[in-house]
Amino acid sequence: MIELVNVKKVYNAGNPSEFSALNSVSLHIAENKVTVLKGPSGSGKTTLLSIVGCMSRPSAGRVKLNGREITSLPERFLTDIRRKTFGFIFQQPNLIKGISVLDNVMLPAYPLGEKRSHLKIKAMKGLSELNIANKAASKVEWLSGGEAQRASIVRALINDPHIIIADEPTAHLDTRLSYRFMEIIEKFKSEGKTVIITSHDPLVYESAIVDRVVNLRDGQIED
Amino acid sequence: MRNSSLFFLYLSAGVFLLGLLLVHASFSTNARQESLDEKSAMVKALRLTDLCLFTEARYTRHLSQADLNTAFQDHPLSLEHFPSGSFTQPPEGITQRHESLD
Amino acid sequence: MRAWIEKQRYIIDFTISSLLRRKVKNFGLLALYTLIVFILASTMFFTYSIKKEASLILKDAPEIVVQKIVAGRHDLFPASYIETIKKIRGVAAVESRLWGYYYDSLVSANYTLLTPPSNGSPTHNVKSSAKTTVVESESGDQQAVDMAKPLFELNGAVLEPETLIIGNGIARLRNIGKGDYMPFLAFDGKVINLKIAGVLSSQSELVSSDLMLITEDDYRKLFGIDKGYVTDLTVAVSNPSEVAMVASKIKKRLPQARPIIRDEILRTYDSIFNWRGGMMIVIFSAAVLAFVIFAWDKASGLSAGERREIGILKAVGWETSDVIQMKFWEGAVVSLTAFFTGVILAYIHVFFTGPMVFEPALKGWSNLYPNFELTPFVNIEQLTTLFFLTVVPYTVATIVPIWKAATIDPDSAMRFTGE
Repeated sequence: MIELVNVKKVYNAGNPSEFSALNSVSLHIAENKVTVLKGPSGSGKTTLLSIVGCMSRPSAGRVKLNGREITSLPERFLTDIRRKTFGFIFQQPNLIKGISVLDNVMLPAYPLGEKRSHLKIKAMKGLSELNIANKAASKVEWLSGGEAQRASIVRALINDPHIIIADEPTAHLDTRLSYRFMEIIEKFKSEGKTVIITSHDPLVYESAIVDRVVNLRDGQIED
Repeated sequence: MRNSSLFFLYLSAGVFLLGLLLVHASFSTNARQESLDEKSAMVKALRLTDLCLFTEARYTRHLSQADLNTAFQDHPLSLEHFPSGSFTQPPEGITQRHESLD
Repeated sequence: MRAWIEKQRYIIDFTISSLLRRKVKNFGLLALYTLIVFILASTMFFTYSIKKEASLILKDAPEIVVQKIVAGRHDLFPASYIETIKKIRGVAAVESRLWGYYYDSLVSANYTLLTPPSNGSPTHNVKSSAKTTVVESESGDQQAVDMAKPLFELNGAVLEPETLIIGNGIARLRNIGKGDYMPFLAFDGKVINLKIAGVLSSQSELVSSDLMLITEDDYRKLFGIDKGYVTDLTVAVSNPSEVAMVASKIKKRLPQARPIIRDEILRTYDSIFNWRGGMMIVIFSAAVLAFVIFAWDKASGLSAGERREIGILKAVGWETSDVIQMKFWEGAVVSLTAFFTGVILAYIHVFFTGPMVFEPALKGWSNLYPNFELTPFVNIEQLTTLFFLTVVPYTVATIVPIWKAATIDPDSAMRFTGE
């Protein structure tokens, strides 16, 4: 469903500090599968993930989503696609401090202008599925690491995306929580969602639910 | 209650109060017409030329009667009569005369 | 449309909660902003009302006042000049005025002593060829008859020799009233005791607070002014459009004279009370300076925290335009709140509490000051001006630095390591 053709990404082009994070990456990511991008830090995993997730544009090459070329779309459309198609789980929970868990979870839906009562029901349902409904009114500062992670997962799901993108999701979790996370991923898969994860955690890429592992090194795919 | 509802509530209350104050203004302007007439009649009857705002000096008591030599003679902002002296501008007749009468 | 409204509400919700997150800073900003609006609005309400009131009250002031200047000082006006002025074409009536100041050392206050036109001061009617003369002089007589009537609150009390009528400010300051005696030290050292025949109404304090009305004889006895002299003259002109012309003729005939025309009086009161003046500039500039520092802090760029937040918002699917709308609401929420609070407080301050903040400035160092209630002349136009002076610039200033937000890539949220 996602196809990358000869994608390159160069940072600080033209400067002495120029470096290329991705060199001619071609990749096909299948629907309803769990794909893991594996590689050491600096291998270009996060860059690749941000290009797949329409967060940044490649310096060269093309990205197709469901057969549609998206690299040349203006920002407005790109944001719209990102909002509706992708759910992001970051290495850090990246919750906004000072507002409640519920508000944080609903944040991605704000620009869509959905009725608040509906949105709230949806958010509460998501929170209770991950057993943190009792924390809905709490401020995010009061959450434990695992709770914050789960809150950010609920946030990623609020717009009901087809594709879940997770960047090093277990980096800040202990073993028990990491297993718990993989269970959640399994549930996504059973719901028909596509999952793309970057990780160098064996617990993730050796997991039984992972369908494919892509090895990255120095911005290129290793086979 | 949602923050936005609180904000709009505050805005509506603000608009309403301001409207109320405008109504108050127009009512009291009417109500005070009599007092205005009384003052205006006194000005006419006693041949008065000025408002009694500052009584501390000739040129602040009778602003319009100040001559070229007394008004604001010591300092451009009349700081020797700070603050009331500095509150007012030099009389119009002194800074900007439409007719040269002196 | 529904979705749009709902979206704006969501954005406002979020904006307000992020404002509340930095409570001390934002409440400080709001308080300062409100103070500025308050000062601006108070000054505007106050000055506009007093200017408007002055223009209404003084519209019947004498058309021309003629003073005599000697060596840069007011001098007594020789009564013989009256005839010279009466001969000028276009002059309808000439009246002399007798007035001056008296310093009361007991309470360190200045009074304005004045002889009402009805008492002894003759109305010099013009017997010249002007057609309107007869009518004018008749109305002048009518005025004289009016003046013989008791003044305002006097309830039948007439100003007789050895009596005086005082303004309400004096009555308040000296704590005296009708029937009391008021001692004066005359020019020759004698003490003259005058009986108070009445007190001018408190309603009229804005023009009469420090007035003392006494008869011409008493006035001359007190100050030792010879019958041949008066303080100054008022001149009535038959044709209102000829006022300036008549004034310049007077000046030409009597080079020592200084005519002041009514327009000049009105213009004087139109230009007094400038917000740039005195106290106001002291308070105002301090507040503005502090506000500018705050605004500069905002405008000069986004803090690391804000950049991070915008990165997260963009990562979870907010567009740059959504972020700009958020910033717009941030400016609008703060400035609208400050505007309404400031304006309402200013109105209450100026028209209900009798300009508390201005009072010390208005009193200055004089001991005698009027106690007056302002007529609230307020209109939509003033409010609109205030709105455009305060709300609009701030809101715009909040949005301006946001172009920087556009440069924050959504994927920046993925690159934050560590909280």
